[in-house]
Amino acid sequence: MIRLQLNPIASIADAQAMLQTAINVEFGTLPPYLYAQLSILPGSNAPAMARLQTITHQEMIHLCLGANILNSLGGSPKLVAPVYPGPLPGDIGFDGKVLTLHLLPFGKDAMKQGMDIEMPVDPIDFPQLKTATLTATKAVTIGQFYEALDVYLKSLPASAWQMNRNQISDAQFFPGQIFAVNNYADAHRAIQVIVSEGEATSTSPLDFSNELAHFYRFEEIYRNQVLTSIPANPGYAWGAPLGVDFAKSYPAVNDPQLLDYSKQPEAARAAQQACTVAYTAMVDSLNLALNGDAAQLGIAVRRMFDLRMAAIHVLQTPLADKSKVAGPAFIYHAA
Amino acid sequence: MSILQLPRIHFRGQMSWDPIVTNNYPNFYNEDTAQPALTPSESMNQFRQAAIEAAKGGNWNPHGTHRSAFFDTSVTAVDLGHGPVTTDKLCGAPAVLNAMLVDLEPYGSCSSQLFFDTLRFGIDGGCRIVAPRNERFTARYINFNRNPFGFTAGGASVNWQTTFATAGLTINSHGSDVLHALQQALHEPDALGLVVAFNAYRTIYFDDPTLQNSKPPSIPVQNQREMLYQKLLAGGFQPNPARSLIVGTIGVWRKGEATHEPSDRALLPDANAKAFVATAHARIDRGHVNLDLSNSISETGAALIKQDLGTLQVVAVDAASKKEYQLASFNYPQYDRHAYEASAGIVSVPLNPALSAADLAHAELADWQLRSSKEGLLLSESATRIIPQSPNLYLDQGPAGNTKLQLYLHGKPVQKISDVTVYQVKTNLQTEELDIIGTQELKTNAQGQLVISADASTGNVYGYLPLLGKNLPPPPDLKDGIDTQTYTYAYVRVLPADSATAALPPTWDNVYKNVLINWNAMAPCMDNWLDLANPVQVHNYTSILQRLTDPKAFESYLFMPVTRDMTVGQRSLLNNFLKQALPHPADLAEKVSTRTVAAAAPVSASTAPQQQPNGKPNFVELSRSLRNVDNE
Repeated sequence: MIRLQLNPIASIADAQAMLQTAINVEFGTLPPYLYAQLSILPGSNAPAMARLQTITHQEMIHLCLGANILNSLGGSPKLVAPVYPGPLPGDIGFDGKVLTLHLLPFGKDAMKQGMDIEMPVDPIDFPQLKTATLTATKAVTIGQFYEALDVYLKSLPASAWQMNRNQISDAQFFPGQIFAVNNYADAHRAIQVIVSEGEATSTSPLDFSNELAHFYRFEEIYRNQVLTSIPANPGYAWGAPLGVDFAKSYPAVNDPQLLDYSKQPEAARAAQQACTVAYTAMVDSLNLALNGDAAQLGIAVRRMFDLRMAAIHVLQTPLADKSKVAGPAFIYHAA
Repeated sequence: MSILQLPRIHFRGQMSWDPIVTNNYPNFYNEDTAQPALTPSESMNQFRQAAIEAAKGGNWNPHGTHRSAFFDTSVTAVDLGHGPVTTDKLCGAPAVLNAMLVDLEPYGSCSSQLFFDTLRFGIDGGCRIVAPRNERFTARYINFNRNPFGFTAGGASVNWQTTFATAGLTINSHGSDVLHALQQALHEPDALGLVVAFNAYRTIYFDDPTLQNSKPPSIPVQNQREMLYQKLLAGGFQPNPARSLIVGTIGVWRKGEATHEPSDRALLPDANAKAFVATAHARIDRGHVNLDLSNSISETGAALIKQDLGTLQVVAVDAASKKEYQLASFNYPQYDRHAYEASAGIVSVPLNPALSAADLAHAELADWQLRSSKEGLLLSESATRIIPQSPNLYLDQGPAGNTKLQLYLHGKPVQKISDVTVYQVKTNLQTEELDIIGTQELKTNAQGQLVISADASTGNVYGYLPLLGKNLPPPPDLKDGIDTQTYTYAYVRVLPADSATAALPPTWDNVYKNVLINWNAMAPCMDNWLDLANPVQVHNYTSILQRLTDPKAFESYLFMPVTRDMTVGQRSLLNNFLKQALPHPADLAEKVSTRTVAAAAPVSASTAPQQQPNGKPNFVELSRSLRNVDNE
């Protein structure tokens, strides 16, 4: 479980800083999720692929919604590419342990990591966060983090919100799922979407649109079982096999950022470099798009497809250990 | 149409539409040759740039993908005989459809289809319906007059329908009463599977519901076009999908019922009606008159308030005796916006208790009408209908194909021999009128089936308009377009054999210039998945390309090209290329096409869509205006 540092929120600047962290948490979950998704062998594991695709798409949407809130409050979103293995921004850990995120190919370990990231809020802890005036640093889940933010945002006057400032809408991508934030009501709705899709509620595994929340999607793949409705409490039970075959994945190494590429074949180096170029370009375009350059969103999406193509290639290019390949390392290389 | 029987399930939400519309324009695409209109000296990039320039004049989605999907769509109510109920366990279940929107006739607006693999209601592990494709969705009864306040095609609504065979269905009831009832119904002897129909309306372009049609285009329209143009100039992937509201219904598909369009009693706009209401379908079931008004009654403005026509009456009129049977009546609250959204436009009203069994028997044999307390007669039944079984038929140049139709009387198949006059029609780009290019006098067989031998002698796109009777004259206004509210019709697309292309040596130069450049030019979105100008990439995708271009995959969601316009010759050349070893790297560069395509005459300017003096819409003008508001 990711535990984020929740500092007292006493000003819009505090809220902006918190949102900046939140956005980068959403952004930072994408490479691990994508690494697992992309390493599924083509034509296999359709149920798992569909679940992972939905999760990655929704994380992208959460990122945009977080940025919309930040922009509406006058902030300037800035995506910072994390290093893997490494913690997410703001993660101060739980029980003395920071959750170190790895890039892991499709397998039980990757799904367990996804569950750890998306683990729902402890309902006993939840009521303690219904205050906007925390006085000390506290470790909280992503859901709790947003909950505290929501409480503060509710207290803001209408004048705190700037209309139509650098907003990403659903006009081009993800129809019905991305919307402008121009006031507290919009921000509240965005937070509900983010928390609901990630963790659902303390009483149901379903999100607001009656789809399974991320945590349970990961768990379905991890257990290779469908979470199935039953008439008795608690309403669901682990049911039939989902149809997961973890063996049907590319033999991708863990944490490709740790590879010494000077010792890898030229083809593998070149293929990984293509991933780096595409990823860097995508991050650069996204940062422009999130700060009001409308055309850059479409450019960023094109670069996501470029990254996908580069990833497919690198996953098919043997390393020095010819039984292994690397997936995309998600290295940001600033110009 | 069995959505007028019980049980039924209603759903509601929205749908996004992301077609490439560059091929709607004759100066960009020749639908007969199935080729983009690349001039001899024009490169792929020049063609793409020209498509972008056309965005300033109305080409609203050069970076489209054809992908069309439900969103924010879920089951809203079920009906087991007591009206719409919202407490069934299935209510709230998400509806998922990912499809490719393709017009058989790229220039027209009456032959749309949705190619897809699976339709799903609910989620794994919960109460759900998983319905693998049996047939593609087909659009019919396009109502050009639905929402006159809408921008470009936003004025139109249309019915979509398809059916799903029982054998492929997965239905998990998990305590859902309606799914349990559906499972029971599917065991009945005449049940074939499920029928799913939905109506798409209030379509918005540029994500701006305030845009309206005008001549010249309003400042807001110009601004939206300019913003799109600037995005396209900036590069990347810049789709500009439209979106519609949808309401839909799931029911049981039974023997004798048509697949692609309703086959119940068809109540058509009456020629003398004072107010326009689009075609509705009706039947009696379990003591109720059930009327499908999903496509019929207009909204009065952006607030989607339904037109108030007062009390509506369904009346059966015996043609011989002129005796009338008042079958049912209902008031505005039963067809207002709230009711429409709750029951997807289906109105179910108890039969008039004063009717005797004999009266009902007479009424079943009579023609029905829909009357308004305010406007008088609105709709009159067309007792006989002849409905295509393959409404949109694709053929390759060669021997003639068959398109089959079934005769219906008062909503039921009729097994009898009847005369049919069939007009073959084709759009004339010079005159913007429908030309009659052939007439056949045919007969249905003893089963009431009509088989039309569809000419496939040359690349062509045309329609068949069947009229029941011998030596019947064409509809007087046929040149203005098919009156989609009155007539059934079938469209045929014949792809040229292109044997000269098939005979070319399978070099990269030939395969690019004669095959791949067409979709590289027309579909910039392909850059996301595959660089069609890169022989190494193309070759690396050999197995995928062979699978996705295989005619056996024609109905599937991922079939390539999405637009279903690759000729046999082109496919042959592509496959011959793919079977070879990788070409030499020196042959990598994009080649300028030397293909010469006779440029079709540009569409001349015309006036905004207008109604004819009788109040009926001018369908050809409305149809054209949907595609090309400024005729640029």
